[in-house]
Amino acid sequence: MSREAYQVPAGLGGNQNAFGGADSMGAGGAGSLDGPVVAYLCGECNSRVSLKRGDQIRCKECGHRVLYKERTKRMVQFEAR
Amino acid sequence: MPASVDQENDQSMMDAAPEQQYEQQEEDVLELEDKRVVVLPGATETAASFQFDGEGHTLGNALRYAIMKNPQVEFCGYTIPHPSETKMNLRIQTYDTTTAVEALEKGLDTLMDLCDVVTDKFTVARDGFNASKADRMES
Amino acid sequence: MAPLIASQEELQRRRIVDINPETVSNFASTDFPGHWPGESHEWNLEKFRDNFQVEFHRNDQFEASFSLIGLDASIANAFRRILMAEVPSIAIEFVFVHNNTSVIQDEVLAQRLGLIPLKGSVEGINWMRWFKKPTDDDPEGGSTPSDYNTIVLRLDVTCEKNPNADPKEDDPRKLYKNAHIYAKDITFHPVGRQEQFFVGDDAIQPVNPDILVAKLRPGQKIDMELHVIKGIGADHAKFSPVATATYRLLPHINIQRPIIGEDARKFVKCFPAGVIGLEQVTREEASQKGSGYEGHEGEMKAVVRDAFKDTVSRECLRHEEFQGKVKLGRVRDHFIFNVESVGQFDSDVLFLESVKVLKLKCARWKRGLVDLAR
Repeated sequence: MSREAYQVPAGLGGNQNAFGGADSMGAGGAGSLDGPVVAYLCGECNSRVSLKRGDQIRCKECGHRVLYKERTKRMVQFEAR
Repeated sequence: MPASVDQENDQSMMDAAPEQQYEQQEEDVLELEDKRVVVLPGATETAASFQFDGEGHTLGNALRYAIMKNPQVEFCGYTIPHPSETKMNLRIQTYDTTTAVEALEKGLDTLMDLCDVVTDKFTVARDGFNASKADRMES
Repeated sequence: MAPLIASQEELQRRRIVDINPETVSNFASTDFPGHWPGESHEWNLEKFRDNFQVEFHRNDQFEASFSLIGLDASIANAFRRILMAEVPSIAIEFVFVHNNTSVIQDEVLAQRLGLIPLKGSVEGINWMRWFKKPTDDDPEGGSTPSDYNTIVLRLDVTCEKNPNADPKEDDPRKLYKNAHIYAKDITFHPVGRQEQFFVGDDAIQPVNPDILVAKLRPGQKIDMELHVIKGIGADHAKFSPVATATYRLLPHINIQRPIIGEDARKFVKCFPAGVIGLEQVTREEASQKGSGYEGHEGEMKAVVRDAFKDTVSRECLRHEEFQGKVKLGRVRDHFIFNVESVGQFDSDVLFLESVKVLKLKCARWKRGLVDLAR
């Protein structure tokens, strides 16, 4: 999901900030919006967490709130200098 | 040409081509290209400045020494005009008995002869040392 | 007119670079035609062959020490510079990262891998040719990887928990498999004619198998392909085949007037062990008028034992009692080389290689001169 494509969910007003988003949306936000599913890795238990837009940022196994993006599958070239 | 330079067989790691060259392409020929000396403007027969691209103090100072050893040379000096350009300028002024280009050629020959002597003597000394060390180990 | 020949004392004076308390003097070479009126000094190959000497002090795989005597500094310095910057060797240059989930960043890991010294069949390395990189001017001009210019290595490791580990164990190397990645974990994959050159002990491998490359934790992976090419130290230090290549001039200590008794013992302490020794003043010396030894028979005098070991600290020049009695110097044309190989080639072979490079440089420039001359 590109940064430009992200839009503040409707009805949540202007007092929204990046960190408050997940909390204020609560259960009502889930499922209301469609979007691509992105896989993350839990920072605590390393399990895979698939999230789509509006999902709560939380590991489904352990409830940890720090998730990491997966590394690219593409090959990357470097010079050993 | 001094006896030391055998152009048929003398090849360095960089010049040496593998025996089977069949599948090698044009691009690899590049490293075999000879370097070209540039004569800077204002040169006369007996006084000239040469520019060596891709050289530095390594060849500059050694070549200066070799050329200065020639009694027909009045003056020889080298400079690296700018430290971030890999260029070396060599100035040669000779007496009327020779020309600057000849002096340069002779200097290169001198250096090559010198290298052969160093290689020979070094190899002999090394082999002698290794042999005497082996003797000491046995006794 | 036959050329003048300088006296032995004069030649000896010219051979010594003077080391004074605060300065260095008489350091420039003067053996050029026209410098000393009437003397020749013309380049003479036979004379050079007669005067030039090589003495070996040690010759091990990783370190060689030898003296080159009868050479000019410009030549000795050329050899030293070539050893460091122009004798070719191989190192990892391109890193293709397929996966790296470790904490060490791709580019940092790539840089570390580049610095690992590699060894393999010398014949094979000499057979290898340059890999030409594409330039900005000519983006299509690079060479294509082939058996004669690229060696392929792989590093493919995964860290896992060790099920057999003691639960109280706290050493990650025992607790996990592949927790530490070493240079020996890099594998060699020969292609084409490389299979003939790099076999058995001659396979491409790190010189030091125990270099720590990265650390992993269970679940982390590194999977990369490493392309090794031939290069020179001038391009990048990882291609330099020597750890160090240095020379120093042989120290020279000249005791001009006798140093006797308590002074002699103090004089010994001004130098590293073994440089200065003590000897008894003989009857003959004591009986010789004007020698400075009169009436000192049986006392200890300082003599030079082995100037080679001296560091030329100039400590003896600081003391009042040795003023005017000792002169320090270095022998202008006696170069004590020390060459430490990184491991790809033997140290003595490296020096021979440097001489070869200098000769080839000359040959190449000479060939480029042909159309200029005529």
